[in-house]
Amino acid sequence: MIPLPGIDASADFWPAHLRRAWRAIREAAMSGTVATMTDEDAITPRRMARWPWAWACAVWAAAWLLMLGLDRHIGLAQAAITLVLASALAAIWLPVLASLATTTLAVFAFDWFLVPPKHAFSVELSEDMLLLAEILLLSWVVTGLLARSRVLATRARRSARHADQLRRLGDALRDCEDPLRRGEALRESLQDLLGAPPMLLLLRNETPAPEDDQASATLGEPSADDLVGLWHCVRLCRQFGPGTGHEQELPALYLPLRGAEGEAFGAAMIPVNPAEMADEQVLAQAQALCDQMGQLLHRARTQRLAESAHAHAQGQAVRNALLAAISHDYRTPLAAIMGAASSLRDQASKLALEQRERLAQSIVAETRQLSRLTDNTLQLVRLDAPGVQLNLDWESPDELAGVAIDRARRHHDPERRIKVWAEPGLPLVRCDAVLFSQMLENLIDNALKYSDPPAPVELTVRRHGQHIVFAVRDNGPGIEPQWREKIFDVFQRGDWRSGSSNSAAQRGAGVGLAVCRSIALAHGGELKLRQPAQGGSSFECWLPEAPAPGVDERDEAPEGAPS
Amino acid sequence: MTLRVLLVEDDRELCRTLKDAMSAEGYEVFTAASLSESFALLTGLGARPTAGGAPVDMVLLDLGLPDGDGEQLLASLRKKHTVPLIVISARESDGQKVRLLDAGADDYLVKPFSIRELLARMRVGLRHRGTSIAPAVTRYAVGALSIDLGTREVLLAGAQVHLTPTEFNLLARLVRSAGQVVTHRQLLMDVWGAEFTEHTHYLRLYMAQLRGKLEDNPADPQLLMNEPGVGYRIVESQG
Repeated sequence: MIPLPGIDASADFWPAHLRRAWRAIREAAMSGTVATMTDEDAITPRRMARWPWAWACAVWAAAWLLMLGLDRHIGLAQAAITLVLASALAAIWLPVLASLATTTLAVFAFDWFLVPPKHAFSVELSEDMLLLAEILLLSWVVTGLLARSRVLATRARRSARHADQLRRLGDALRDCEDPLRRGEALRESLQDLLGAPPMLLLLRNETPAPEDDQASATLGEPSADDLVGLWHCVRLCRQFGPGTGHEQELPALYLPLRGAEGEAFGAAMIPVNPAEMADEQVLAQAQALCDQMGQLLHRARTQRLAESAHAHAQGQAVRNALLAAISHDYRTPLAAIMGAASSLRDQASKLALEQRERLAQSIVAETRQLSRLTDNTLQLVRLDAPGVQLNLDWESPDELAGVAIDRARRHHDPERRIKVWAEPGLPLVRCDAVLFSQMLENLIDNALKYSDPPAPVELTVRRHGQHIVFAVRDNGPGIEPQWREKIFDVFQRGDWRSGSSNSAAQRGAGVGLAVCRSIALAHGGELKLRQPAQGGSSFECWLPEAPAPGVDERDEAPEGAPS
Repeated sequence: MTLRVLLVEDDRELCRTLKDAMSAEGYEVFTAASLSESFALLTGLGARPTAGGAPVDMVLLDLGLPDGDGEQLLASLRKKHTVPLIVISARESDGQKVRLLDAGADDYLVKPFSIRELLARMRVGLRHRGTSIAPAVTRYAVGALSIDLGTREVLLAGAQVHLTPTEFNLLARLVRSAGQVVTHRQLLMDVWGAEFTEHTHYLRLYMAQLRGKLEDNPADPQLLMNEPGVGYRIVESQG
């Protein structure tokens, strides 16, 4: 046996089991004085838990009846066993001190009534003396053990109750997103534990400005003084009030909602009776409840910071990729313009008229390219901005197609490859005409670029179920399967129509197709890529049909005119 | 007598290029880089009989000037004169462009534009001088189509085309400004009346009917051109 430090020298003198029993008795006695509350926590079966004194009296009465009634028929040893049994049974119901007292009293009575010489406290035989001593000691040990188990049961029940309370608060906190509703859940738990409704102060911001209304929220209408206390508690991140060892004289308990080391995310103030706070366990439980809320607030903040950092990084990456793609697309026409223009400036006298015209033509064409690129980039940025406003109006599908065709022909269709067809009798569509024709022009331009002359490019407008479908079809080599989804991304550039010998295919189409998709989406439509069985690619904008207003007018041919 | 043009444009490079190009065509060009400068210039120049008393024969007005809005210049000019005015705009200023057209500007050009386009628009503008006072154009012909506003007769390849009264009024309004854009608002106002200026769907439907009667392929118009977000334009008369 390893000698424990702090145990006095007499420890060796006592047998181990006796020492344990004594400790149990001492603890039981102390717990009995500390908490008469243990009554409800008795180890008796639930049905027999009421009227503990009645039960104890009944047990003693029965034992004495038995001992006195059968005095002549049983020996002293049997009577002694009965007494010990009665003492043990009564200890089930009685508080520890009462139990010890009644047992001691019973031993004296036993001596008076049963130990010879009867009706006297003196004892004849020395073995009877020993018997009396043994009865007393045994009864005390049993009482002590019972009291000890009662304490343990009480503790177990309380920790189970506290664990359950913590778990219920955890569930309640998880169930609601709103910090104020979470605060209410914490208040209920604290009130449940301590009996009084607490005041709460919750911080919203990372760095609390003292007494800043915007940075914090309060629950339970604390007074100005309470608020000062709560803020003090938050800043120090320390508990104070009765039972905490700090400022014990306060009428209320202040607990910080601790999230991380030394950081409070709020505070709770609970008016308490100082006497109730003698139990450390209650304080620990109250703090645990508060910390649960604090940790949640801490976690929420950490998550918020991580999300914003992530979003920022992502936004930065998107912007960088966009800028890289766009600046590449800008440099190409700029280089061509610079080359042609400087050649005209420096070598004009050496160039044939025909060559000069070709250079000038190149400048004009590349400038158009730049201009369209600028339009597309601006639209892309505009459409990506939140809350973008479209200039919606009722437009005729014929006209939208007509405008796109007209522009494309003037600017990039010298061979006149574009064909257009619109189903007769199409309804008006609700759209932003400028944006929509920009989208069609881009799609046509794209189709011209990626298919070689003289293959035609077709723009068709038709009705398909509840949609009006604008389709731009080329007869090019089609798009490699692995590119079909990616080509609508701004940053994607590459030789995705590798079969084309068209040098323009080397230029980025990213911004053009990306803006087309943004425009289609902004109109509540969709931009799809279809690969028809007979070859080529078909970019299709599916616009949902909307009920167009009618024309309320009588407009007939003038009288006399043939109809 | 050479025609005087006032070019209000704050970009110096563009201003010089345009001035050179117009001078090469025989115009006398005055340039101003701001509103105040153009007001000063107009006051200093003095009236010209060819421009109906206006100091210049034509104004090219850039939007977005350093010291104010082009609308002020237009308003001040329109108080006294009907001098043709063409708006030069960047695409973002769509709304302002339409406002100026509604306020009496004759046409618009979106930057960047070619000199050929500019000169063509200027010729149209000069031809229309004074037409808003007395409709000078009564006959219009392009391709196989000929229109006589006086007799309300419309012939396509020699055959009479039957138009409803509204269709004819709409066509006539465009013909009076042939070659120039007429805004949605102006068309609705002149053909249907002031209370219809927001009813663009009327315009869409009647334009579709007109195209159906006058164009070979309504989706590929050669005659009735649409300027998205702005208005319509009938191509210039050839006869």
